[in-house]
Amino acid sequence: MMAVLLSSCTSGDSANGKVQIEFFQNKPEAKTTFDELIKTFNAEHDDIQVTQVNPPDAETVLKTRVVKNDIPDIMAMGATDTYSILAQSDIFTDLTDSSLLQTIDPNYIQMLNDLTGMDEVTGIPYATNANGIMYNKTLFKEMGLDVPKTWDELIATAQKIKDAGEIPFYFTYKDDWQTSLPFNALASNLVGIDFYQERRDNKVTFKEKYREVAEKQLELMKYGHGDNFGKAYSDGNRAFANGEAFMYIQGTWAISEIRKANPNVDIGFFPFPTGNDASEIKLVNGIDSLFTIAEDTPNREQAETFIAFLLEPENIGRYIDEQTLFSAVEGVKQDDPAVQELMPYIEQGKVIDFPDHYIPAAVQLNSIVQSFLQNQNIDNYLDTLDKEWDKVANRR
Amino acid sequence: MNKRIAPYYWMTVPAVVLFFVFMTLPALQGIYYSFTNYNGFGKEYDFVGFKNYFNLFQDDNVGNAYWFTFKFAIVVTILTNILSLLIALGLNAKIKFRNFFRGIYFLPNILSVLIVGYIFNYLFSNVFPTWGQNLGINALSTNILGSESLAWIGIVIVAVWQSVALNTILYLAGLQTIPTTLYEASNLDGAGKWREFWSITFPLIAPFFTINMVLAMKNSLMVFDQIVALTNGGPGRATQSISHLIYTGGFEGGEYAYQSANSVIYFIVIAVISILQIRFLQRREMDL
Repeated sequence: MMAVLLSSCTSGDSANGKVQIEFFQNKPEAKTTFDELIKTFNAEHDDIQVTQVNPPDAETVLKTRVVKNDIPDIMAMGATDTYSILAQSDIFTDLTDSSLLQTIDPNYIQMLNDLTGMDEVTGIPYATNANGIMYNKTLFKEMGLDVPKTWDELIATAQKIKDAGEIPFYFTYKDDWQTSLPFNALASNLVGIDFYQERRDNKVTFKEKYREVAEKQLELMKYGHGDNFGKAYSDGNRAFANGEAFMYIQGTWAISEIRKANPNVDIGFFPFPTGNDASEIKLVNGIDSLFTIAEDTPNREQAETFIAFLLEPENIGRYIDEQTLFSAVEGVKQDDPAVQELMPYIEQGKVIDFPDHYIPAAVQLNSIVQSFLQNQNIDNYLDTLDKEWDKVANRR
Repeated sequence: MNKRIAPYYWMTVPAVVLFFVFMTLPALQGIYYSFTNYNGFGKEYDFVGFKNYFNLFQDDNVGNAYWFTFKFAIVVTILTNILSLLIALGLNAKIKFRNFFRGIYFLPNILSVLIVGYIFNYLFSNVFPTWGQNLGINALSTNILGSESLAWIGIVIVAVWQSVALNTILYLAGLQTIPTTLYEASNLDGAGKWREFWSITFPLIAPFFTINMVLAMKNSLMVFDQIVALTNGGPGRATQSISHLIYTGGFEGGEYAYQSANSVIYFIVIAVISILQIRFLQRREMDL
C-alpha cells in the first residue's frame, strides 16, 4: 500500500501514457498566465502533460523539497541568492551547450555566471524586471515638472513638490525589502557589482565604498510623507494609484498592482538618477524569472520541449505583456506605455544587476538598511554591514 | 500479561512510538545537525564540532533576540495575569448576562493568531493613525509598528489581548473550586471585599496562578505568529524574537545548522525557566 502511494507521487509515466512534467514556479502574480500557456501546450502535445505548482512562500518550499530529494522537473525562480546557493549545490542540469540559450540576450547569461561564480550555465533567463522611479504623469504635467535626469535635478524636483505642500516620494518602509530599492539603484551605479567579488576576497569593505550610497539614501528621506515607516508596500500601491504622491521608488512588478487599484492612473517610469552625469546612469535590471531543469529528472527532453515552447516569441510576448516585465529573448519588445522611458536603456544594454542578489540572505540586508534609515547613523550602518558579512562568511 | 493491565499498554505504547517518531527523533536530528555546517539543502556537509555554539555566543543578533524575547515575555506574563484575574473575578460574580460575557471574552482565543495579527496590523497602520491625526495627538498619528522604540508595544497589545482569553477561563475554573461557605464565614466575621480576596480567594487559586504564570511565560517566550503578522521582526531587528530568528536565519538565510544550535540552547533555556517557575510558585500553594 505504502509503496503504491509513494511511487504514484514521483513524476514519470502516468496511467494515461503521458509523461508528467512538474513545473514549479515562485510568482503568484504569474499563475494565471502560466495556466493559460500550459493549457495550450498540453493541447498541442499528446505525449506530455505539464502541471503547474505555485505554493505560497515558494522559495522556502523548494528548499525543503530539495532536502527530501523531491525536486520538481522544471523550476522557475528569480536570480537571487537562493538560486545561487542551489546552483552551487549541483541540483540543476548543466545547460551550457543547450540550444535553448541561442535566442537569449548574452548579457543576462553573463549575469547568471557572475551571480553563481560558476562557468556552467544552469538557468535560462526568461523575464526581467527593472527598478527605478515611478512617477504620476498627470501630476507632473499639472505642476509643469520635467523628468529629472541627474541627482541634483531629482532633489530639486522633490524640493519643488515639497514646497507646494505635496508629497514627493511615497515611502513604504514598514516592509523592510522596500528600503533596499534605493539601495540597489545607488549601490550598483555608484559602487558597482565588482565590489562583491572583491568583498568576498576581503580586499575592500563597505566602510570604504558605501558612504555616498548611505548619504544619498538618507537625503531622500527628507522628501517622504509623515509616516514613512508605518506604510507597507500594499498601502503604497494604493496611495500612489490614487495620486497621493508624485514619485514612487519601485520596481516594474508593482505596475499591475497599481492599475488594479486605479486603472486610469497615468504611470511613467525613469531610471534612478544616481549621479550628475546623465550619460553614465545605468538601469537596474535583473532576472525576474529563469528556468532550471532538475539534474536527476528522467524527462529532460520533455522538459526542454516545454521551455522551448515558453521561449517562443509569441508566448513570451504574451507573458511579459500580462506581467509588465521585459523579455530575455532577443527581439521581443515590451510596448507598455508606462515603461517606454526604460526601453532605450534595455535595448542599448545600459543595465546593471541588483546588488542585493550578491549579498548572502543570512546577512539580512533589508533589516540592516531599514534600521539605518530609522537611526540615521552612517558609521554604525557601514560597520554593521561589514560585521554581518564577516560573521556570515565565517559561519559558512 | 495481566488481562486488566493490557488495555493500558494498548494506549501507552502507540503514543510512545508516535511521540518518539514525531517529537524525539526530529529533536535528536536537530542536535546532530547543530554540530555540522549543513545549510538545509545541499548534498554535502562537514562536522564542525562546537563552532556553531561558539559563534552563537559572539552573535549580537542572537543576544538582541534573547533580550527582546525576555523583556516581551515578562511584560506579557504580568499583564495577562493581572487582566485575566480581574476579568475572571468579574465574570464569577452574580451579574446579568454572565454567560454572554464569558463567551465574548473567550472569543479571541478561538481566532487564529495570524488573522488577528493581520487585522491589528491594518488597524495600526491605517485606522489608529487617522484617529490620532483627527484628535491632534502626535504620538498616535503615526504607525507605532514602524518605530524601532515603540513597535514592541504593539505586539504586546495583540499578544495580551489574545492570551487573556485562555487564562481567564482557567482562573474562572479555579474560582469555582472555592466553597461558598468560606465567604459566608468571612462575611459573618465582617471581612471586607479586599481582605476576602487576599486572605481567601487568592491563596485558594494558587495552583491556577502557578499554571497560568508558567503557561503565559512559555507561550510568550515562544512568540512567533504575532511577530510574523505584525512587524516581521522589524523595523531593523527591533522586534525579532528567538523563534523568529531561528526560522528566518535557518530557512530563509540558509543557515540551518547554525540555527539548530540556537534552538538547542533555546530549548534548554525554556525548560530551565519553566522548571524554576513551577518550583518557586508551587512552594506558596496551599491545600484546603
